[in-house]
Amino acid sequence: MNENPYEVLGVKPAATAEEIQSAYRKLAKKLHPDLNPGNAQAEEKFKQIGAAYGLLSDPEKRAKFDRGEIDASGAERQQRPFYRDYAGGPQQPYTTDAGFADLAGEDDILAELFRRAGRSRASMPGGDIHYRLPVEFLEAVNGATKRIALPDGSSLDLKVPAGAREGQVLRLKGKGMPGIGGGPPGDALAEIEVRPHKFFTRDGDDIRMELPISLREAVLGGSVSVPTPSGPVSMTVPKGSNTGTVLRLKGKGVPRADGGKGDQYVTLKLILPRAADADLEAFVRGWSAGQAHNPRQGMEV
Amino acid sequence: MFLQELHVRTQIETETLTAWVEASWLIPAQEEFSEADVARAQLIRDLKEDLGVNDDGVEVILNLLDQIHGLRQSLSDLIEAVHGQPEAVQQQIAAVLRAAKAREEA
Repeated sequence: MNENPYEVLGVKPAATAEEIQSAYRKLAKKLHPDLNPGNAQAEEKFKQIGAAYGLLSDPEKRAKFDRGEIDASGAERQQRPFYRDYAGGPQQPYTTDAGFADLAGEDDILAELFRRAGRSRASMPGGDIHYRLPVEFLEAVNGATKRIALPDGSSLDLKVPAGAREGQVLRLKGKGMPGIGGGPPGDALAEIEVRPHKFFTRDGDDIRMELPISLREAVLGGSVSVPTPSGPVSMTVPKGSNTGTVLRLKGKGVPRADGGKGDQYVTLKLILPRAADADLEAFVRGWSAGQAHNPRQGMEV
Repeated sequence: MFLQELHVRTQIETETLTAWVEASWLIPAQEEFSEADVARAQLIRDLKEDLGVNDDGVEVILNLLDQIHGLRQSLSDLIEAVHGQPEAVQQQIAAVLRAAKAREEA
C-alpha cells in the first residue's frame, strides 16, 4: 500500500489526532469486514484505512512519515482473521435463526432451511414469550387471577396484583420457550392492558369519577351513596354544592405497593329532572335573586 | 485452546475475555475456545476500541450479526438446493424471483 495515508482517511495533513481518529472510525464503521459479511472489497479497503490509521495514530511514525523518512508501505498491518470467515462454519455456537424463523412455518416444505438445531448454541436459554393480558378496570385496581392459554394447549394462572397499571409486565419465570441444549427455559411475559370503566378513570394511584346529583342535593346538601372500586360508600354533599365541585374520599383509591392507598376524587355534576316541572318553573320565575345572578360576569358578554 | 492461549493470540486481557464470556459474547465449549472465538474476540475489540461502540451497542451488533450469518447460511443452502434442480426448474424459480423483484420495485 503506497497511497498517501492522509488521502486514504480523507483528512488534511494538518489534521489533529482527534480528527484522524474520527475519520478512521467513520470509515471503519462502513468498511469493517465483519460488518460487511458478503462484501469482498470491504476487506481490502479496511486494510488500507487500518494501515493508514496505524501510521497516523502513532505520533512518532507520523512525524517520520511527514519528514519523508518512511513511506506508507511500512505500515501494512499483519494478516488477521475476520469473524465472518468462521461464522458459517460447522458447530458454531453463535449463528442463529431467531430473527427469521417465522419465514417458513412448521409444516412448510422449506421449514428445514430455517432449522439449525444441530448447529445452534450448545446450550442457551429459551426465548421469552410475550402475551397481552386484558384485564377489567376493577380487576387491575383490586387484583385478580387471570388464566391465559399457552401455545402448547395448557393454561397458566396469572396473579394480577392489586393496583396493576396499564403496560405493567408480569414475568413468569421458566414459562417461556424451552431451553436449547439443556439451557434453562425462557420466561412468559404478560403485558397488562386495562380496559376502560364505565365511570371510573385512573390518575396514578387516584380514582376520578363524575357523580350526578339532584337539584335538591345541590341546594340543600345531604348524604349520597357513591360507588368506589371497593364498593359503595356514603358521602356528604355540602349545602350549596355546584357542578364541578370536587370532593375527596380519602383512601378509596388504588392500592399502592407500600400498603397505602390513593384517594378517590368525585366531581359533582348537577342534573335537572328530565321532565319539565311546572312547580319548579313557577318557583324560578318568581325567584327575584335569580334574576340578578350573572354567572358569566368577567367574560365581558 | 484455553483462556490463556486466547489471551496470547489476541493480546486481550484475560479479565476482559472472562467478562465477555460471562456476557455470552464468547461461548467456549467446555472452556475451550475455537478459531472462530479468536476472530470474534478481535471483532469485539475492534468494535469497542477502534469504533467506539459501548457495551450495549456491542450486544446489539453481535445479535444482529449472528442473525445475518444465520440468514446467509440459510440463503446459501437455498441457492445450493436450487442449483441441484433440473435446468427448467431453475429457470422457473429465476422467473418467479424476477417477478417478485419487479413487484417490489414498482
